[in-house]
Amino acid sequence: MVEAPKIEVFDKDLFELYAKDQWGGQTITEGSFLFDQRLLPDYAFKVIKAHPKNSEITENTSIILIEDFEIKEFRKIKSSIKMEDVVGQEQAKIKCKIIMKYLQDPDKFKDWAPRNVLFYGTPGTGKTMLAKSLSNELQVPLYLIKATSLIGEHVGDGARQIHDLFEAAAKTAPSVIFIDEIDAVGLDRKYQSLRGDVSEVVNALLTEMDGINQNYGVVTIGATNNPDLLDFAIRSRFEEEIEFKLPDNNERNAIIKFYVESMPLKVDVDLEKLVNHTKGMSGRDIKDRLLKTSLHKAISDDKDKVTWEHFEYALKLNQKEKNEPKGMFV
Amino acid sequence: MQPLQSAGYDRAITVFSPDGRLFQVEYAREAVKRGTTSLGVKSSEGIVLVVDKRPTSKLVEPTSIEKIFQIDKHIGAATSGLVADARALIEKARIEAQINKITYNEPIRVESLAKKICDMKQMYTQHGGVRPFGSALIIGGVTNGGCRLFETDPSGALIEYKATAIGAGRQLAMEVFEKNYKDDLSLNDSIELALDAVYEATEGKTTPESVEIAIIESKDKQYRKLSEDEINDHVEELLIRQKKEEEE
Repeated sequence: MVEAPKIEVFDKDLFELYAKDQWGGQTITEGSFLFDQRLLPDYAFKVIKAHPKNSEITENTSIILIEDFEIKEFRKIKSSIKMEDVVGQEQAKIKCKIIMKYLQDPDKFKDWAPRNVLFYGTPGTGKTMLAKSLSNELQVPLYLIKATSLIGEHVGDGARQIHDLFEAAAKTAPSVIFIDEIDAVGLDRKYQSLRGDVSEVVNALLTEMDGINQNYGVVTIGATNNPDLLDFAIRSRFEEEIEFKLPDNNERNAIIKFYVESMPLKVDVDLEKLVNHTKGMSGRDIKDRLLKTSLHKAISDDKDKVTWEHFEYALKLNQKEKNEPKGMFV
Repeated sequence: MQPLQSAGYDRAITVFSPDGRLFQVEYAREAVKRGTTSLGVKSSEGIVLVVDKRPTSKLVEPTSIEKIFQIDKHIGAATSGLVADARALIEKARIEAQINKITYNEPIRVESLAKKICDMKQMYTQHGGVRPFGSALIIGGVTNGGCRLFETDPSGALIEYKATAIGAGRQLAMEVFEKNYKDDLSLNDSIELALDAVYEATEGKTTPESVEIAIIESKDKQYRKLSEDEINDHVEELLIRQKKEEEE
């Protein structure tokens, strides 16, 4: 997302003078950037058109500033994750399928369209991954937003960015908005004292999610680790709350098998045994903390396959240190 | 940012939160969960108390880890949570049992004893300057009224169970009980069921050294701790049984 202050030029001649003064003598091509060195720090103008090409800015060059009305590029992501790659979480997948059906044929659903869905659950259980896979399977734009990026620098930015986001989504409808870590913007208003603009951001979100503007063909998915922190009114906007649970034995087995296949080294262990040792781990834990650590250990030991001792090493690292006083509890 | 759900209402035990909760008492229940699993099973043939006590170091003498206590001839208790608090409660229970004996010249009823314990626990949730007991007790015994099994928690709540568990593995153990408890268990069946639950609650890390078993049979109404040999036999059987089940 580009965060740009709006530039308004009241006196075109003055701007030309300003431009020539700092960029005089530079050779420019179409698409290159001219960094402002005077008034606006870290701001660049893009050269839309230059005639003739590769021309130098001289006294006789005329410079015209075109205001770029293109809506800010909210990140549309590309990924290679498929929905089958997300193990388990059947309920969420069903919902995603409904959303896909809706977006293919929005008229069929009329007033009964899926609108707002909340994914919640412990970290690393596939909330974001599922959203990425959704974007992969959908032919419509998916706006994947980190909620933290919706909080602006100044008071008032947050609300404006939320409005911009929904406006962009409405223009490209049918579309999906996925707000990751939605508790960052949808914080309960009782935390107003901790963060001054909570109320304002929450209200913006409320009106956008189910407000005066009928966001026809826009589906909002929120994801959070901590649904209890969400504002009550925002939570009630979600028609369905889907919990992402930690994987059970069979699911962990599937996850391990899935990742082991793509590992650069051969894995020479009894996977069943490994499954038993990963109780309580999330999908991400398995991938990053167990498989990756043991793979790296094997590589650093210059082995050509990953064996049990490497996994043992990774498992040992993962054992949560028990700091509790021994003997106090029996 | 930390959720501030308790928002200061957990500072004093005597102050209710606006939605009617007593946070300190709830925290005391968390202390119980820090303890290893203890369970009790009731059948018509008697009461079985089983505890899991994993020694933290090989230097610890296993016998010094006390989780099962005899309260009177006919009553025993299994504890989980803060060990010192549990001992204070057991001391109180033993005295109450003797007071009853001297006053009425008959053994105390299990229910009366459990209620006496809970009265004390309750007192520590309603007075300023004290903290609740951080331990739960499973009290089981046999009197003329038959076999009784009670669970007490830090709030002073008292519930009679057919089979119950406290401590870290409560959830897992209770699942086993829910699935396999029957009303017509023999004493041996009860021991097996309890050990199955311990096995589940400890995720298979059960050894003869890690469990302790006490029984109160309804025919002699005598509290008795099983000997090492008896425990060895039972655990061996358990391991064979579990292995078979896994193979199936």
